Amino acid sequence: MKRITIVISIAALLALTAMLPLGIVQADGHCEFADDSIKIGGLVPLSAPGAVAGGIAMSWAINRAADDINADCGIEIDGANYAIEVVIGDSEGSPERGQAVVERFILEDEVDAVTGVYHSAVGLATMGMLDENSVPTVFSEPWNDNVSANGIMEYDGRPPRNADGVDHVFRVSPASSMVGGVVVDWLNDLGVDNVVIIAENTDYGQPAAADEKARFEAAGATVTQINVELGTEDFVPILSRIQAAADTPDVVRVLVTGETSFNLTQQMAELGIAPTEDTICVTNQVAFQSEQYWLNVPDGNYCAFNRVGIIPSLFSDLAVELNASYFEEFEDIVPSYAMATYDAVWIIAKGMEQAGSKSDGAAIVAAIEATDLDLSQGRYYFEYGNHNPDLPEGTPAFMWHQWPDPVVTMMQYFEQGQSSLDAAVIFPQVYQTHGTGYIVPGTSP
Amino acid sequence: MALFKRFESAIDNGIGRRKLGYMLIALVIVFFLWFPNDASQSNYAKTVFISGFFYAIMSSSWALLAGIAGQFSFGHMAFMGIGAYAAGLIARDGVSFALLGISVTPESISAFGSIVVGTVFAGLVGLIIGWLLLRLRAAYLALFTIAFSELFRIMMLTEYDYTGGSNGLSLRPLLEIADVNAARQVEYYLMFALLIVCLLALYWVANSPIGLFLRAMREDEDAASALGVNVVRYKILVFVFTSMIVGFAGAVFYSDVGSERIIPEQLEILQMSLIIAYAVIGGMESLIGAAAGAFISRYLLEAMRQVVITLPFGLTTADGSDAFVWDTGFWRFALFGVVMVFTLRYMRNGLLYPIITWFSGRDIAMKETVSIRESDDEFAARKERDDE
Repeated sequence: MKRITIVISIAALLALTAMLPLGIVQADGHCEFADDSIKIGGLVPLSAPGAVAGGIAMSWAINRAADDINADCGIEIDGANYAIEVVIGDSEGSPERGQAVVERFILEDEVDAVTGVYHSAVGLATMGMLDENSVPTVFSEPWNDNVSANGIMEYDGRPPRNADGVDHVFRVSPASSMVGGVVVDWLNDLGVDNVVIIAENTDYGQPAAADEKARFEAAGATVTQINVELGTEDFVPILSRIQAAADTPDVVRVLVTGETSFNLTQQMAELGIAPTEDTICVTNQVAFQSEQYWLNVPDGNYCAFNRVGIIPSLFSDLAVELNASYFEEFEDIVPSYAMATYDAVWIIAKGMEQAGSKSDGAAIVAAIEATDLDLSQGRYYFEYGNHNPDLPEGTPAFMWHQWPDPVVTMMQYFEQGQSSLDAAVIFPQVYQTHGTGYIVPGTSP
Repeated sequence: MALFKRFESAIDNGIGRRKLGYMLIALVIVFFLWFPNDASQSNYAKTVFISGFFYAIMSSSWALLAGIAGQFSFGHMAFMGIGAYAAGLIARDGVSFALLGISVTPESISAFGSIVVGTVFAGLVGLIIGWLLLRLRAAYLALFTIAFSELFRIMMLTEYDYTGGSNGLSLRPLLEIADVNAARQVEYYLMFALLIVCLLALYWVANSPIGLFLRAMREDEDAASALGVNVVRYKILVFVFTSMIVGFAGAVFYSDVGSERIIPEQLEILQMSLIIAYAVIGGMESLIGAAAGAFISRYLLEAMRQVVITLPFGLTTADGSDAFVWDTGFWRFALFGVVMVFTLRYMRNGLLYPIITWFSGRDIAMKETVSIRESDDEFAARKERDDE
């Protein structure tokens, strides 16, 4: 009996093994694609002075989205299935190179749509070209308020829409103005009175510091602002000033990006300034990349940070799958801009399918305006566009073709070496994962 | 080799190398004039050429400053930026000098006017920097210009209220041509003309008595001074001259001719090192070599973005294709570095130097004037003969 079982098992195993390639062939071959393909241009920084790591992640996301769409038999237009073909262009983070790449996309690669863009300067420089050439575009990372129809108006003095009533640029990343208020709202809710802001001396740090300072002061808090240069390694003199102050601050807010923010946060923790029972540590959003964070800030437990993009506890199945796939490739948690880029490709693809065309810019734009899709970052829709052209009084012009719901939250680590996937979401209340707005150092939620 | 010798001899006995060189230059100019009229060339190809012309101006002017005058400056991109930023800011905000009673409003100045102001401003800063550099040589000069360059970049980055910070500053467009194709055609010829004019100006300086003084300063500043060369005057002069050239080129290029905005990252030391690398590869002491090195390097770096590799012996990729695309991305700069290392190790005068030398006939002059030393073997053989 045993022998029969073994023989049957081996036979079944062999049969399965033999069928496996067949199955793969069928999975690949079950779609009949049209000879022509749909070309999507990915404008990302892949060499210096651009943010190369960001460009690699975005490039990965575009290819991943194309693979997923193609595995699903591509885009169906008039009964034919079109495969997505990705053309990646290296913007080098430079407007000049970005413009040249977009020109190549349009004239030589003849792309049907464009996505990507990490640096706002590249978005600002290229959006006019994309619009003039009627290329449906969904930007996935630039934050500048003017990277939008509003920017096109300011770009060359033309009205925000083209003569045909269509402008072709959409954005699924948040505008800067959409991000600013969350940190202050959270801290004001906690009732902080004495705030220290350490801001880098750049166009990221300074406007953000000015904005937050005004909001804190409007709520009656006292704010001390300290400016630092990017690339500073030793913050001890600056931090000593905080230690020497008569009043212990309620919060130290770090408005410094990248590696520098890690250095600053670690030195702040080492000196016992924050996080402590008396002082809240609010570090930069790069802390979300937990592998890098704990490597550089081993003493940074209980620091809070803002997160742009969907929070891990709200990850859909698609987001979980995307994150697992990203982790396999890069051994890190998928960044929000990679998720946004992945979603942008799907938005374009579905727009083309709805429009029944891969080349009719106006029809595709109209279809994207009518988008209602659940993707890795949530439900995508565009509130204002040609379908709803009248922006109410007080609504900023950048809301035209802007996804209105990028999630901006506050998160906090509460265990040493914790993955950001497990970190607590503390604000806004609607997203709270541990039922608290702040975890006091030394305690557990 | 024998065939080349026969060709060389025929040229030497015929029209002469120099004339042949001039004919080649004329042919290259004719090619560049014809290129945009070739219907098969897209605007993208013209954009790549426009960028190539711009970097050719940058590298050739740096070759005059460093290769001929011996002032190894890292501030070249900063001067370019000064020209561009000054042009952009004056066209946007205007300027007022109450003491002098001068007021320029944005409405009263044209795009070209702003470029002229940017050029003059770059020259003025060049004057100050040239004066400050008078006592500095070699490594100190390089360090000073790196510091100045970084200082300027950080200023542009941090004064974002005025300069736009890392989002960049959009300059007033120099050309107002609605038709994109016609506009690109005009931009191409404008940048090419600018390159020719700049090269002529640089050659005029290099081949004038000033050029001789600059070379003398490069070889030995003290000796040149002792022989009556006004080192102070010519050091400042070369700084002002090259600063104005790159300031003008930068202001034109970023006035929507090559790009519609300038960003501080364009002034990074990495970008400056590319300018130096182009000049080194083409030939630091040759203005045309540096220009050609920059143009060819820019073109190749662009062409190498994506390399299509056709598989031999009927091989195919997993999806059945007989070719695949290699997205060189990061590797093209690594390859560029290898070329640079090779050049510095084996051809210090640049990869184009032997060609330029051959056409100029300088190699003949060298053969006639440079004494030929005996090798050890030859010396031993002669000594043996003498002993016998």
